[in-house]
Amino acid sequence: MKKKFIVILMLVSFILTLGLTGCQKSEEPKNDDGKTEAKYPNKDITMIIAFSAGGSSDVQARIVEKYFKDEFGVNPIITYKTGAGGEVGFTELAKSNADGYTIGGLNVPHIVLQPLARETEFTIDSFAYIGQMVNDPQVIAVMKDSKYNTLQELIDDAKANPGQITLGNVGTFTGHHIASLKLMDLTGTEFTLIPYKGSADQIVALQGGHVNAIMGNLNDVMRDVEKYKILGITTEERHPLAPDWPTFKEQGIDMTSGITRLFAAPKDIDPEKLARLREGFKKIANNPEYLKDMEKIGQPAEWKDGEQVYEELKKETETAKKLLEKFGLLEKK
Amino acid sequence: MLADFLTGLQNALHPLNLLIMSLALAGGIAIGTLPGLTATMGVALLVPLTFGMDPASGLLMLGAMYCGAIYGGANSAILINTPGTPSAVCTTFDGYPLTKQGRADEALFTALVSSVIGGIIGTIFLMFAAQPLALVSLKFGSPEYFWLAIFGLTIISSLSEGNMVKGLLGGALGLLLATIGIDPVTGHTRFTFGFRPLIEGVTLIPAMIGFFSFAQVLSLVDEDQKYIAEYSPIPGVIGKVFSKLLKDCKNIILRSSLIGTFVGILPGAGGNVASFVAYNEAKRWSKNPDIYGTGAIEGVAASESSNNATVSSSLIPLLSLGIPGSPVAAVLLGGLLIHGMRPGAKLFIETGEVAYTFIIGLVVANLLMLFVGYLGMRIFAQVLNVPSHYITTIVIVLSFIGSYAIRNSLVDVVIMMVCGVLGYLGLKVGIQPGPIVLGLILGTIAEEGFTLSLLMSKAQGSLLSTFVTRPISAFLIFMCILSIVSPIYVRMKKSRKDKLEQNV
Repeated sequence: MKKKFIVILMLVSFILTLGLTGCQKSEEPKNDDGKTEAKYPNKDITMIIAFSAGGSSDVQARIVEKYFKDEFGVNPIITYKTGAGGEVGFTELAKSNADGYTIGGLNVPHIVLQPLARETEFTIDSFAYIGQMVNDPQVIAVMKDSKYNTLQELIDDAKANPGQITLGNVGTFTGHHIASLKLMDLTGTEFTLIPYKGSADQIVALQGGHVNAIMGNLNDVMRDVEKYKILGITTEERHPLAPDWPTFKEQGIDMTSGITRLFAAPKDIDPEKLARLREGFKKIANNPEYLKDMEKIGQPAEWKDGEQVYEELKKETETAKKLLEKFGLLEKK
Repeated sequence: MLADFLTGLQNALHPLNLLIMSLALAGGIAIGTLPGLTATMGVALLVPLTFGMDPASGLLMLGAMYCGAIYGGANSAILINTPGTPSAVCTTFDGYPLTKQGRADEALFTALVSSVIGGIIGTIFLMFAAQPLALVSLKFGSPEYFWLAIFGLTIISSLSEGNMVKGLLGGALGLLLATIGIDPVTGHTRFTFGFRPLIEGVTLIPAMIGFFSFAQVLSLVDEDQKYIAEYSPIPGVIGKVFSKLLKDCKNIILRSSLIGTFVGILPGAGGNVASFVAYNEAKRWSKNPDIYGTGAIEGVAASESSNNATVSSSLIPLLSLGIPGSPVAAVLLGGLLIHGMRPGAKLFIETGEVAYTFIIGLVVANLLMLFVGYLGMRIFAQVLNVPSHYITTIVIVLSFIGSYAIRNSLVDVVIMMVCGVLGYLGLKVGIQPGPIVLGLILGTIAEEGFTLSLLMSKAQGSLLSTFVTRPISAFLIFMCILSIVSPIYVRMKKSRKDKLEQNV
């Protein structure tokens, strides 16, 4: 009786944990390098997500998952490798086997800024880009009862009182941080930047009156949008999800910015496989059903081809480097 | 609203939903009981399953899983001194001594009943006071979090009565471990000694598994006993526990549930902080605080009622403000969005029916947990009839898998082992794991609160107005002082009394 019980206990615990961890690696029929298989893909594709389950990046990947099987005929296996603002997952993808069966989500500007901020095991050259799925632009938001009505009023006040106006950010060396630096650089103002741990904390700080304004994401302010005044959005043109918000550009501040979500494979992937992935993801990205789902979760979909993404990343690296140098943030290690 | 409420009640009691909730509870309890598999993980695993379900049933399933997992942590805490979830750390303080005394049944049943009561009290607040409580949670800025963490650290003094120096040493070690990784303000790495995988720092759960489970296994091997403890089911234990809880623990459960509800609404704190605070308060107000830590039913009741109260209250910022206040809430947010629900002020207006079904479902889930948990308890208690060399093997396997599963990272496994050995050596010299883990939990909250407050005060030009004069900060400072001074005062009074008696 006792023995039986122990065996059952061990079995149950093994099955449970295997289900959680092990089976992400499905049995992989080994095929020789170099030889192109009959048809790609012919087994499930591992998809590395660098942020925790339930976060924006994950929810987006889950929506892609819904359409992935129809497009590629195989399942994506979402694997979380989280930590250090995505760095753990990005590194994992960069070091993965480039056999076409591991792809992953990347976030910009994270992959641009992390190699600048500290020593990392990847750079933007470590990946082959499939395409961009989401462009979540930044907004400057204040509470409805704030004394600021336009971006100009906020900037004027910051000019008159350098360092006394607080601007909530998420993290340091992040999209929000770099957008705030850009703004300060272009307008010659000095805000005190408060780097919160996550967007939830940032929103609490704004709603609780602990900061004067935030540099936030469209996705985060959309949820309770009637509580805020949006002073500006960092897009080229007014955003289709929120046509009432003035852009930075029309208010005379020439900057665009945003957090974008890409999919990529390790750099050395076979070009034919990459082409297949690019084609498939593009189809998913333009599927009306997919777009409807994306709107439901409040994430602004915007497809961009892999080549274009890479070109823009190179440019972005240059500007970010200059900006960080200017603010003396690059005296690293 | 009343119509929505009634439909919600009807939906929540639908037989299919009852079945789904029972299964999710059982799964949750199992996940919670196994060290390393957390509530967040369990809920995240279920989210894709809800895609094809009716939104209400899907949400009920997620809610039940969450309740079950937070409660389940108590089982392993009590039986093998290994908290299944971080929220159950305080449950080990009295739960395991009770097991050692052959009173495992009492402890397990206390944990179950207190969890259910705590969960229901938290849900009542979620139902009727979500909006005002959400506004309170907004008042907590960085300075308040800093002081809350400092208040939490004063708990070390009561955890380590009799040997303050060792307690403080443990706490300091925890704080030190919390500083490893990326500096939250400058974004640079520190204390990793060039070892890059450490950039994420010492993650709480692997460290906790190390300090409790792995260290516990090492000492079990060391003790070389055939069984962990004597165990035979005591007939009539339920009645005994019920009357004990009604007689002596009414106030403790009520107070702890309120503490849990309050701490739960704060996005920066959670079940682990709540149970520490509740445990400490239970001890502080007790007539004989000496029994805590030696196997007091009251201690188990305080810890478990408070951590289950946070389950519902941590959903308050999510449902009424759209702000996910805990990792689980963040996962739930994803689930809600996919079903086309927008958490925030309009949730109850636009999708009131589903929202009420969910909240009422949480009450129902808690009641169901009484039965599901009772069945589970009977099974889990059998662990004590298993020779300890089997137990140690299983716990070692679970420790490895659990710490790996958190982030699918081997670094975490190494962290777990190092912490385990440290914890074992600590136990040998009398440094308990409680203060270390407390330091680790609160270190990050305190540091972030402090550095961000400094930035705020720079902008305001005044340290005083940021750190001291904000009303909640002032209150927390007062609590800190009280917490430090009161044990000293009590001891002085006691020694004076002893002296008087001696003189007589």
